[in-house]
Amino acid sequence: MIQVQNVSKQYRNTDNEIALDNISISFNEGFIHGIIGISGAGKSTLIRLINRLETYDSGDIQVFEYTNLRRLNKESTRMLRKRIGMIFQSDHLLARKTVIENILLPITFHRKPTPEDYDYAESLLKEVGLTEYSNRYPSQLSGGQRQRVGIARALINKPELILCDEPTSALDVITTGQILQLIKNLAKKHHLNVIIVTHDMHVIKEICDTVTVMEKGHIVESGTLDDILFKAKHPQTRIFIREIGLDLSNIIQSHDPNQLLLLKFDESVVEQSIIAKMINELHIDTSIVYANVTPNKKGIMVLQVPSQQESVIHFLRDHKVVVEHVI
Amino acid sequence: MLFDLEISVYLKALWETAYMTIASTVFVFLLGLIWGALLYATDQDGLWEHPQLHKIISILTSALRSIPFLILIVLLIPFTRILVGTILGPTAALPALIVGATPFYARIVEIALHETGSDLKETGLSFGATKLQVLLRIIIPESLPALIRGITVTAIAIAGYTSIAGAIGAGGLGNLAYLYGYARNRIFVTIASTVLIALFILFLQIIGDLFVRKTTPK
Repeated sequence: MIQVQNVSKQYRNTDNEIALDNISISFNEGFIHGIIGISGAGKSTLIRLINRLETYDSGDIQVFEYTNLRRLNKESTRMLRKRIGMIFQSDHLLARKTVIENILLPITFHRKPTPEDYDYAESLLKEVGLTEYSNRYPSQLSGGQRQRVGIARALINKPELILCDEPTSALDVITTGQILQLIKNLAKKHHLNVIIVTHDMHVIKEICDTVTVMEKGHIVESGTLDDILFKAKHPQTRIFIREIGLDLSNIIQSHDPNQLLLLKFDESVVEQSIIAKMINELHIDTSIVYANVTPNKKGIMVLQVPSQQESVIHFLRDHKVVVEHVI
Repeated sequence: MLFDLEISVYLKALWETAYMTIASTVFVFLLGLIWGALLYATDQDGLWEHPQLHKIISILTSALRSIPFLILIVLLIPFTRILVGTILGPTAALPALIVGATPFYARIVEIALHETGSDLKETGLSFGATKLQVLLRIIIPESLPALIRGITVTAIAIAGYTSIAGAIGAGGLGNLAYLYGYARNRIFVTIASTVLIALFILFLQIIGDLFVRKTTPK
C-alpha cells in the first residue's frame, strides 16, 4: 500500500540537520503499524511524507496508486489527502465551531455538506461515544472527548488510511487506553490501515501489529510486535522495551543462560497448572525467574532448569508449550 | 456656561474625536488585516513562505511604525491635500491616522495568525484544503477574538493620536484641551476634555470586550 524507497530529507535551516537518511520501508494493508522513536528521530517527518505535508530530497514514495509523491501536482495532492485521515497530538479542533461542524469540516473544503453527510457525522459521533455532544463547543469537552472528536473528523471522508501523530501524548494513562482501544475498534470496523507515531512503548504494545524503531533519521529495527518485544537487538529498542517491563536481557544476564528456558503459551495452557504437574511428575528442581503476559495475550515465562533439561523440554512440548533456549 | 464653554462645544469636539477614531479604525482593520495576513503568510511556517518578500514587508512595517506621529502628519501633508482637498478638520486627519496605525495593527494580526496557524495549518492541509481555504476559512475565523482584542487596543491608540492631530488643526477633544485649555490658560477646559476622552476610551474598551465575548464560545 505504501512503499518508501531510499528516501532522504535534510532540513533547510541553519544547521542543515538531516531528518531522514536513506529510509526504506513498506506498509502493508490491514495492519496497525507503529513507529517509535525519541523526539528528533524523524518519525513525525516520515508520516508527514505520506500525505505530503512534508517533501523529501531524494528517493521515491508510492502511496495507493500515486507514484513519485514528490512530483504530485496540487490537485492530486488534495485528492490523496482526502483518502488519508490524520489525527494529531492535541485535538487541533476549531474552537469557534461546534463538535458537529468540526467533524464535517474536511468535507466543506470539497463541497457543501449534504443531509447524508450530517447523518454520517452523527453516526461517527455515536461510534466515538459522544452522541449528546454534537452542538457543544470544544472548550466544553475534556481532553479525551476532544480527541474522540478528532478521530471522528479523521473518518468523515471515509479514508483508507489513518495517520496518527502522537495521538495520546497529551492524555492521561486511563484516557490513553480508552482512545487506543477506540482506534483499534474503528480500524477493524472501517477496514482502516493505521500508522501511529509515538514515543511511548505502551501505545505500541497496546494496539500495534508491526513496529518500526527509529533513531536519528534511521530505521534501526523493524518487525512484528513479538519480534520486537522478544528478539530486539538494538540498544534503543531495548530501552523502549524496558519501559513496559518486558526486557528479558537483564534477567538473562543475572543467571547462567545455559540453565534458562523461554516458554511461550496461549490461554488454553494457562488453566492447566502445567509447571506444578511437571515438577510432580519429573521430580525436578526448577524456579520461575520471569513471567508475564504479552500484548497478544500470550503467556511468557523464563524457567531456570539446572538439570534434566531434555525431559523438561519434552514434557512441555507435549503440553503445547513453545520452548526455546534463551541463547 | 457651567463648563466654562457652551456644552455644544464639548459635544462637537467629542463627535470629532469619535469620528476620527472610528472612521480610521474601520480602514485600519481592513488594511491591517490584509497587511498582517501578508506578513504571516510569507513568513517562515506561513502558508506561502517567501523570505525575501517577508523581509521587505517587515522592514517597511517597522519603518512606518518608527515615525513619530506628529512628523508623519507633516510628511503626509502633500498627500492629504491631494486626497482630501484640505489639511484642516477631522477628515484631513484620517490619512495620517490610518497610515500611522495600520502597521501597528498589522503586527498584532501577524502574531494572532501565527498563533492559530501553528496548530491549524497542518490540520487544514491534511484534510485536503487549499492554502487559501486554510487562511480564509480556518486561520482568520479562528483568530477572530484575538483580532478584535487587537483592534480595540489599536482604536484606543488611535484615539490618543487624534489629540495630537487635534493640536495642529484636526479639531476634536485634543484641540479643545490644547487650544482652549492650555493656550488660553483655562484649566477646567483641559480637565473636562481629558475626562471626556477617558470616557470615550472606556467606551471603546467596553465595545471591544463585548465583541470578544460574542465571538468566543463559552
